Amino acid sequence: MTEYLKPIPIPSPDSLPFWEAAREHNLCMQKCRKCHKYWFPPSTLCPQCGNKVYDWVNTSGIGSVHSFVIYHRLYHKGWTAEVPYVVALIELDEGPRLYANLVDIEPDEVRCDQKVKVYFDDVTEKCTIPKFRPLNASPD
Amino acid sequence: MSPKIEPSKSLRDRCAIVGAGTSQLGKVPGVSAQGLLEEAIGNALNDSGLTTKDIDGLLLRGPDEIYTFHQVMGERLGIDCTFSTTLTNGGASQVMGVALAVMAIEAGLATTVVVGYGRDNWSRVHANKENHMRASGRPQQMYGVEFGPEIGLFGAVAAHAFGAQRHMHEFGTTREQFGKIAISFRDHALRNPEAVMKKPLSIEDYFNGRMIVSPFGLFDCSLQTDAAGAVIVTSSERAKDLRQKPVLIKGFGMGNNLSGWHNNDNLTHTGAIEAGKLAYSMAGLGPTDVDFAQIYDCFTYMVLVQLEDYGFCKKGEGGPFVQSGALDLYGSLPTNTSGGQLSEAHVEGMLQIVEGVRQLQGNYSPNRQVKNAEIGLISGHGGNTVCESTLILGAN
Repeated sequence: MTEYLKPIPIPSPDSLPFWEAAREHNLCMQKCRKCHKYWFPPSTLCPQCGNKVYDWVNTSGIGSVHSFVIYHRLYHKGWTAEVPYVVALIELDEGPRLYANLVDIEPDEVRCDQKVKVYFDDVTEKCTIPKFRPLNASPD
Repeated sequence: MSPKIEPSKSLRDRCAIVGAGTSQLGKVPGVSAQGLLEEAIGNALNDSGLTTKDIDGLLLRGPDEIYTFHQVMGERLGIDCTFSTTLTNGGASQVMGVALAVMAIEAGLATTVVVGYGRDNWSRVHANKENHMRASGRPQQMYGVEFGPEIGLFGAVAAHAFGAQRHMHEFGTTREQFGKIAISFRDHALRNPEAVMKKPLSIEDYFNGRMIVSPFGLFDCSLQTDAAGAVIVTSSERAKDLRQKPVLIKGFGMGNNLSGWHNNDNLTHTGAIEAGKLAYSMAGLGPTDVDFAQIYDCFTYMVLVQLEDYGFCKKGEGGPFVQSGALDLYGSLPTNTSGGQLSEAHVEGMLQIVEGVRQLQGNYSPNRQVKNAEIGLISGHGGNTVCESTLILGAN
């Protein structure tokens, strides 16, 4: 197996459940028991209502592109083979937004508001990174 | 945010900027950020006729890696102060520093305050290839070491480019319109002998610039320079006895969308909406009273969106507004009249305060002076793209 050259995320105590769920191929986020809203990035109380009681809940992994950028310049050698590559701000159908790579599409063809679906890239034995592809290009 | 916030009108015109100075701008090898700042503070003091012995307030934006930077600078300058701190609000720090100076003076905690900032970005980052890779490859600090580096999300260019992309999608804004902003500011830089950029910029040049993080190309991005700026704030009463014609501080405000750039409609609606409202209210003025603007231009798009948010045009109409030539020196709203951070030099907004002061002093040659410049609006923007401070200055 070729060496993985990209940075490996270092979870914080707050985000650890997110990364553990990703290894199980689930896109898991916190959901407030009081106002029932999801939120991301992880923290210890609900940013919408301040409630401290929440559950980690698997999301559908389906959402849309709120915005996106295309990296032409190389900022890190790990991406040498991939420039130009897309980083998108995905709005999940459940509400929260997260930044992720959007693949299986030509960068010039990406559009805001297009529907996308998560898949899980097991980049190393211990690390899985959620990525997205166009919904219509996703296998069932 | 509480809709009921109403700024105190009693601060209007109570304080003034009585001196402004800059360091050498551009590539200044062999001088530290602190050295550049000393040069700028010295020039600002000379401009005002004051000395370090008159200073009892020091408000600086620090290089983030230096602990209590104001103390380090105070030691170098030999200044003891009552009111002093280092601000860490990104590019919104400098304008906020002027606002804090007014509050401190009005509270009786200081009489004469230096606000300044210096950077050695060119020497530290770009003059040395090894430093360059280290600086540009650093993980985005927004979330520590996750939710960024592992997906190739690095740097300020991308962060702001997300906003530009969304604005283009919602309102039909084009790269040609972003280009016009860069061209207007380049024309201003050519009138400013201190400015780093010396060559005219055409729309063809703009489109020929290499793409960095789309939709931003090279000419959408501000400069990496060595430079510093400083201003001196004191009471309007005291200002009467000083060397320069005082430039009155008429109003200020802040807006911080701390819930995040990615949240709500923040990509296309910045903290300038709230900051501007408060500043206008304190000053008793509105956008139609403003004769010129110095808008924080880390990237072209940020100018366009702030112009909308300050009410110089309607939301979504920033593209046609800038394309009309409004920002040109002889346009309806001359903007970034020294060339801005896109074409003069980049000190996170500090030089734009200096330029606002000088335009209101009215001493420029006719090819650089805004005609009938009586009211200027200055913006500071930063802090992971959501922190905004606004300053309204007046000649009278």
